[in-house]
Amino acid sequence: MTVIAVTACGCHKVDEWDNNPQGNFEALWTILDEHYCFFEEKGVDWDATHDKYASKINPKMTQRELFFVCADMLDELKDGHTNLISSFNTSYYRKWWSDYPENYSERLVEQYYLNFNYLSTGGLDYAILPQNVGYVRYGSFANPVGEGNLDNVLFYLESCDALIIDIRNNGGGNMTNVETLVRRFITDRTLAGYISHKTGPGHDDFSKPYAYYFDPADKGRIMWGKPVAVLTSRGTFSAANNFVSIMKYLPRVSIIGSTTGGGSGMPFNSELPNGWGVRFSACSVLDCKGVSTEFGIDPTPGCEVDLDPQAALDGHDTILDFAVDYLTSGASVR
Amino acid sequence: MRLLLRIRLLAISLIAMSAMAPAVDAAAEEPVRPVTSAYMFNIGGAKLVNTYLTPIKYSGIDFGFAYERMQAMKFDPDRWVMRLTASVDMNKTENPVRNADMWRLVGDVSWGMTYRWRLPFGIVVAAGGSTGIDLGCMYNPRNGNNPVAVEAAWTVNATGYATWQTKVGRIPVTLKYQPTVPVAGVFFSPDYGELFYEIYLGNHSGLAHFAWWGSYFRMDNLLTADLHFGATALRLGFRSDLLSTKVNNIVTRAVTYSAVVGVAGEWMSLNPKKRLDPKARIISALY
Repeated sequence: MTVIAVTACGCHKVDEWDNNPQGNFEALWTILDEHYCFFEEKGVDWDATHDKYASKINPKMTQRELFFVCADMLDELKDGHTNLISSFNTSYYRKWWSDYPENYSERLVEQYYLNFNYLSTGGLDYAILPQNVGYVRYGSFANPVGEGNLDNVLFYLESCDALIIDIRNNGGGNMTNVETLVRRFITDRTLAGYISHKTGPGHDDFSKPYAYYFDPADKGRIMWGKPVAVLTSRGTFSAANNFVSIMKYLPRVSIIGSTTGGGSGMPFNSELPNGWGVRFSACSVLDCKGVSTEFGIDPTPGCEVDLDPQAALDGHDTILDFAVDYLTSGASVR
Repeated sequence: MRLLLRIRLLAISLIAMSAMAPAVDAAAEEPVRPVTSAYMFNIGGAKLVNTYLTPIKYSGIDFGFAYERMQAMKFDPDRWVMRLTASVDMNKTENPVRNADMWRLVGDVSWGMTYRWRLPFGIVVAAGGSTGIDLGCMYNPRNGNNPVAVEAAWTVNATGYATWQTKVGRIPVTLKYQPTVPVAGVFFSPDYGELFYEIYLGNHSGLAHFAWWGSYFRMDNLLTADLHFGATALRLGFRSDLLSTKVNNIVTRAVTYSAVVGVAGEWMSLNPKKRLDPKARIISALY
């Protein structure tokens, strides 16, 4: 029995690394090498990246020095879902949004469009604009949205001619909130997209993309069938990006603003021998055409708009203005 | 044996209490098959690793509760013994640098039959099979989308026991060693990088895997000493449980080793309407 036990456990080997700069660096590189899902899509030569940064590791370096070498290595992935987490810092690749205009000012909308007078429930702020267009601001998909919340919001906005859903700078959150929201805008079972995961440690080991569908909200719930504009910015990321990837293909829905930030890789967590956490994209979520949205989703053709900083000083949100004009002019009805 | 005598006395006293019951044909009496049951608490150490959650090995404490019920079987009580077990175990572990926790909660139920041989010097050896279900999970709270590794398995096991009746001073003692090793079955595992969100979306393919020693190895060893004090016994012992699986390039290992303290006893269930033959044979599950 003992021989059998030792043999069986020997077959089930677990890689181990020393808790020193070299061991932690190798652990980090290997975890990403075996689990990260966008090497090919991003054209990253991970072996070359290893050689580039391994030469910067030495046994006497401090934890902080090691952290910043490792963080620089992760930045090569140009991925907003990839972080190294220690007790003194969390690395974060910021250029996916910092190199772009912000295109959103919360104060601008609240002061000049809502007059600081709006309703809030379940993470949703909502009001009726003077042009009889409903406005819903969803700041984070991390805020849970209940079916009852949505019933109340849509009932309140029922008399409006159109609806604006503002998810600029919405950095994502829980994917199940995407489903809860989308279900109010579809009338039949709808192909939402595909999901593909790693099936092994090789860079090309992926499962066949699995098609997933959303069903309309349960009978009795309040639905929305009038024109919709979804306002986006580069800060529209992760679950918010996924929401856009689904809404974009629904009838009477327009995407207005700027290209989203992407972030279509669902993140996994792991850890290093020294206790640092690491988070990285592990499962690729594709849109309903089977296309990756990791690099962002473009607005509906003709609806690419930036927020004009000069106009903002005069109290104008040029993206929101465009959306109101677009919806009230009838241009949104395809 | 003194213990057997005690059990007989217990049976006789119960018969006396049911003196008003109608008489039955003594020839129809079957052997009395007392139930050997034990309630055990265990506490000790645990080592966990699950590469779906983390490649780092965690270690900590194990504590749990187990119930065991054994009884000679009706169709051939001298040879065949039934055993039912149920247990719940919890592990609380930390990574080597002690800045993260990992929990494991697992329960299992099994039922089996063993064939026994009575050897000289009061030694009994039994071997047979059992089948059981294990359900539980490991939970690593620091992980966002992959915080849980579910453990679910149905297995067919090789099992057995060996007992030896002896005395320590004037106290009768039953020593028992009881190993159980699954040989085949089915167990659950997500794919290498598959998130539970994908399973939630409806992709249930490839979650069930055939268990054999190359993919699923488990060995549960229970060594106990029952110190008999009257009709009940104090059970002291040691338990080690090794689980090692590898499927879809995910390796799981859970090793626990713990001290066991419990209460054991042999109990008879008698029908008050039925008179028991004072000469009826009493066939224990253990000896």
